[in-house]
Amino acid sequence: MKDLSHLKKLVRNSLLFALLLVVFVYSYRVTGIDVARLVRDAPKARNIVLDFLHPDLFRRDVEIVTLDMAFPIPCGSAPEAEPAASGPRLATSVPCAAARERFALEGFELAPNSTIEIRWRLPDGRLWTINRVQTDADGYFQVEVEARPIAATADGVPSLIQADALVPVGPYKPSQTFDDVMANMLVTIFMALMATTIATLVAAPLSFLAASNVTKRGCIGTVVYYGMRSVFNILRSYEPLVMAVVFAFWLGFGPFAGTLAMTVVTIASLGKLFSESIESIDPGPIEALQATGANRIQTVWYAVVPQIVPDFISFIVYHWDINVRISTIIGFVGGGGIGYYLKERIDMLAYRQAATAIWAIVIVVMALDFLSAEVRKRLT
Amino acid sequence: MLSVQNLTKVYPNGTQALKEVSFDVQDGEFLVVIGLSGSGKSTLLRCINRLIDPTSGKIFWDDLDITAASPSELRHIRRHIGMVFQQFNLVKRSSVMTNVLSGRLGYANPWLSLLGIWPAEEKQRAIHALERVGIADKAQSRADALSGGQQQRVGIARALMQEPKIILADEPVASLDPVLSHSILQYLEQLNKDGMTVICSLHFLDLVHRYATRVIALKDGIKVFEGLPKEIDRAKFKEIYGEDAQEVRATSLEAPA
Amino acid sequence: MNDKAVRRSPVLAGGLSLIPGLGQMYAGQRYRGGAILIATLLIAGVVVWYGRPGWSFAPIGIYLWNIWDAFSLARGRARSAFLPLLLGLVVAYGIGWQMIGIDLSAASGERAMAILRPMLRPDLFERRYELNRMWTPITVPCPTGDAPPAPPASRQDGEKRAFAMPDCAGVLETVIVSVSGMWPNAETEIWWETNIGDDKPLGGNENAPLIVETDETGSLTTTIRVPSTVLIAQPDPTLALTHRIYFDQRELTSGFQLSRNGRFVVQGMVESITMALMATFLSALLAIPISFLAARNLMSSSPITIVVYVIVRTILNITRSIEALIIAIVFVVITGLGPFAGLMALVVHSVAALAKLYSEVIEGIDPGPIEAIRATGARWTQIVRYGVIPQIVPPFTAFTIYRWDINVRMSTIVGFVGGGGIGFYLVQWIQINQMGAVGAAFLAIAVVVVTLDYFSAKLRERLV
Repeated sequence: MKDLSHLKKLVRNSLLFALLLVVFVYSYRVTGIDVARLVRDAPKARNIVLDFLHPDLFRRDVEIVTLDMAFPIPCGSAPEAEPAASGPRLATSVPCAAARERFALEGFELAPNSTIEIRWRLPDGRLWTINRVQTDADGYFQVEVEARPIAATADGVPSLIQADALVPVGPYKPSQTFDDVMANMLVTIFMALMATTIATLVAAPLSFLAASNVTKRGCIGTVVYYGMRSVFNILRSYEPLVMAVVFAFWLGFGPFAGTLAMTVVTIASLGKLFSESIESIDPGPIEALQATGANRIQTVWYAVVPQIVPDFISFIVYHWDINVRISTIIGFVGGGGIGYYLKERIDMLAYRQAATAIWAIVIVVMALDFLSAEVRKRLT
Repeated sequence: MLSVQNLTKVYPNGTQALKEVSFDVQDGEFLVVIGLSGSGKSTLLRCINRLIDPTSGKIFWDDLDITAASPSELRHIRRHIGMVFQQFNLVKRSSVMTNVLSGRLGYANPWLSLLGIWPAEEKQRAIHALERVGIADKAQSRADALSGGQQQRVGIARALMQEPKIILADEPVASLDPVLSHSILQYLEQLNKDGMTVICSLHFLDLVHRYATRVIALKDGIKVFEGLPKEIDRAKFKEIYGEDAQEVRATSLEAPA
Repeated sequence: MNDKAVRRSPVLAGGLSLIPGLGQMYAGQRYRGGAILIATLLIAGVVVWYGRPGWSFAPIGIYLWNIWDAFSLARGRARSAFLPLLLGLVVAYGIGWQMIGIDLSAASGERAMAILRPMLRPDLFERRYELNRMWTPITVPCPTGDAPPAPPASRQDGEKRAFAMPDCAGVLETVIVSVSGMWPNAETEIWWETNIGDDKPLGGNENAPLIVETDETGSLTTTIRVPSTVLIAQPDPTLALTHRIYFDQRELTSGFQLSRNGRFVVQGMVESITMALMATFLSALLAIPISFLAARNLMSSSPITIVVYVIVRTILNITRSIEALIIAIVFVVITGLGPFAGLMALVVHSVAALAKLYSEVIEGIDPGPIEAIRATGARWTQIVRYGVIPQIVPPFTAFTIYRWDINVRMSTIVGFVGGGGIGFYLVQWIQINQMGAVGAAFLAIAVVVVTLDYFSAKLRERLV
C-alpha cells in the first residue's frame, strides 16, 4: 500500500516536471532568447549607458574669446610669441617658419566638442581662413598648417594666427533640460495626485457595494455584490497603460487621457482593497454601540469609520505611490508628464536629456516610496 | 566525567558573561544551573558544545579536550551531546519527521542527507524517538502546527536521535506553562535514569528541588553556589537572585504522568 | 493639546514667524515649525513656478496664518491647522486640475461610443467556413527592352482554370480576369497579392473587397484595376515581377474558429505569458545570489561586506524605480524589436524587485533552528540544507509566483515600445482603428490576468 502511494507520488511529480520542462522549452523558443546577440550587441548600449551616467543638468554661458599668437615668416623677421602656460591658448611646434614650411598647431582648454575657425590675421589687417577644426572632449585640437607666403612678415609686423574660442564663463546654472524635467515631473506628480483623489472619491462609496457583509443580502444585493466584484476584478487586470492607449484615442494625446486611464484602474484597485477592509470590520464595537442605544448614523460614525479610516488612508497613500510610478510611463502612450518628455527625447536620440528625466524619476519614485512606507508604518 | 576548568567568556562588545567558572559533572548526574537571566547560564551551556567559543579555560570530557577540538573532532563530540532549547528551535515549515531526522545529521551520509534521502532504519529510529515522547502520530504534521509542549517534545526527540551521552537543556520549560513544565522535565528525568547526563538551566526553585541531583548557581558570570538542591533555602535563594526576588512556585500540581 | 508648550513672548514669536515656522520653533514646537516651513516653501514654490499670480492668495494666507499661529502658540494655545490645510489642498488640486488640462468637454460621449461599440464585439472568432481558392499569376509592370516577354497569366488546377488578360499590366491599368470551375452562384472575393505577399483589396477605392458572383456554371469574368500601391515596396519599379490575383469562395459551415485578428490575439497573449514566465524564471535565478549580498544580517560582519551591501542595495533601489517599459527601450536598441527585448527588460526590473523581497526573507530567518542543527554535529552544508533552505524556500516561491503575476501584466505593455507580446499588436490596431481587435485583446488580457491572479493567490495561500 505504502509503496503504491510512493509510486503515485513519483509518477505525479515526474509528469509535473516533464510538463514544466515542455512549457519552459516552448517559452524559450517563443521569446526568441538569443544570449549571443545580447552579448554581441551590448556595445550598442554603451552610448546610452554612458549618457545615462552623464545627465544634462548644468550649463554655463559661453563667451567668444579670440586667441592670437604672432608667427614670424620667415624666422627672424619679427619677434616670436611667448607661449602661454595655461588657460585657453594656442601653441605651434616651431616658433617661426620659412614660407611653405609645414608645422603643427595645437589648441588647449577650448570649448569641448565644438568647431573652431583658425585663420591668419595678415599684417594689413585682412583675415585669411586656414581651416575649421573640431575640438575633442577636453577642448584640445591639433592640425597641420602651412606657412603661406601671403602671411609673410611685412615691415617687421608679423602675421598672427587667430582662433575664436568659446570659453565657458560665469557660474554653473541649471540647464534647459533640467527646467523642462522639473516642470514635467511636477505635472507627473499632479497627475498621480488627481488620479488617486478622483479614484478615492469614486471607489469609497462603490466599495460598500462590493463588501459582502454590507451588500450581500437578498437577491438584488447578491447580484450587486457579484457584479461590483467582477467589475473591479476585470478593470484591475489591465495595466493603466493599456487603458491609456484607448483613452488617448478617445480624448487626444495629453495628461488628461493618462490621468483618466489611471483613475479607472485605481478605482478598481482601491475599490477591491476598500471592500476587503470593510469586510474585515470587527462587529464587536458595532454591537456595543447598538447596545447603548445609538442610532444608525452614530453607529457608523463611531464604530465603523474609526475601524476603516486608517486602512483606507494607508491604501490611498500606497496607490499614490504606485500611480506616480505609472504616471512616469503613461506619457509613452497617453501623452503628458515626464513619460512623454522621455519618449520624445529618446526618439530624438537625445540620451543625455533622457538621462536627466530618468534620474528625476528615480529620485522622485524613491523619495515617495520611502515617504509612503513611513506613512503606512505610522498608520498600522 | 565532564570537567569545566576556569571557563571565561568575554563577548566582542565587552560583556563578561563567564568568569573563571569551574565544576565537574559526573556521568549520570542531573545537574541544574540556576541564576538570573543574563547570569551566563546560556553561555555556559553553549560553551560545553562550543556553539560559543570560550575566551579562556578548558573543558574536558573524560580525557578529551573539547576546547581544543578541530572542526571535524568537534562535530564528532557534538554528535554525542544533545541539546534542547527554550524556544524549541524547530524548523517551523518542515515536518516533525524532518525535524527529528535532522538530529541524526552528524551520523548521516553527507551526500544522501543533502538530497533528503534517509535510510529506513533512521526513519524507524525517528518514529521510535517520537514514541518515547508520545507524539508518534504527529510525525507528518508541520512543526508549527503543534502546541508548545508538543514542539518541545519534538525537540527532545531530535536530541534523542543523536543517542547522546549528555543532554544540554537551555531553560527547556521557560516558554511553557507549569503543567507542561513537569511533563517535559519528567521526560528528561527518564532519560537521566536511562544513563544520560543532563545539564539543565532552570528558573523555578521547586522544579530544582524536584529534579536536580546537584545544583550550581551563577551570578554575573561567577559561580556562587555548588551543592545539593536541598541546601538551597530561602536565604541562599535571595543571595543568588538578589534581595528583591520572590520565590515563585512553578506549580503545586503534580503533572500527569 | 499643548498645555506643555513653553510660554514665551507672543510678540517675539509672531515676529520670528516672519520666517515661517521659526516662531513655532521658538515656542517649543520644533516639528510643527519645521512642517510649516517646508509646507510654506513647497506651496509658494509651486505657485511661483506655475506663474499665475492669482494663486498667490494661498501661500499668503498660509503665511499670515503662520504668524497668528506662532503668536497664539506662545500664549499657550495652538490654532487649528484646518485653514492652511484647506489652502494647500486648494492649490494642489486647483493647479493640478489646470495643469493636467482636464477638459470635460473633450470627453465626447459620441466618440466614446464610436470607440466602445466595436470593442464590445471583440473580433476573436468567426464562423467556420470552407474555402474554395484559385489564383493566377500576372506580371507587373510589362517587361521592357530586351527582357523576355511576360509569361502567360493563366493557371489550371484540376477543373479550375483562371487567367488574366493581358499577361502583364502597369499600375492602375485595367485587366480582364476570369475564373471557371468554381462553385456556381457563389460570392467570390477577388484580391491581389503582391510579389512580397502583401494583400490588396480591389473593390471600391482600393479600400473594400471586390465581390462578384459566379454564374450557374461556376465561372465569372470581370475587369479589375491594378492597385496603385503594388509597387510601393519595390526598389526598382520598372522591374517586371510576378504578382497574383486570388479568387476566394467561402461557404459557412457549422461552428466557429479563430478569426485572423483572433489568431494574432492568441499569438500575442502566448508571447506575453511565456515572456513573463521566462522573465520570472531567469530573474529568480539571478536574484537568489544577489539577495544574499543584499541581506543585512549576512553582510554586517566586516566593513567590506557592508560596503558591498550598501552598493547592491542602492543599485537595486535605483533599478526598481525605473519602470520596465523604460528599460525595454534600451533593450529594443540592443536586441531589436521582439519579445526578447521585452523579456530582458522584465528580467532587469524583476531581478531588482525579487532580490529585495528575497533579501528581506533572508533577514527574517530564525537563527534558532540553525543553532539547533549545528548542535547536532551537522556539517556546514547540512546546516544550510536543513536549517536555512526549509525556512526560505516557501516564501521565495510565493514571492516568485507573485512576481510572475505582475510580469504577466507588465508583459502586456512592453510591446508598446516594441518589446513583443499583446501590446505590440494592440497599439497597431488602435492606430488603424481596428477596435474590434482591440476589444478582443482586452478580453484576452482580462481572462488571462484574472485567471492567473486567482490561481496564484490560491497557490501562495498554500505556501505560506
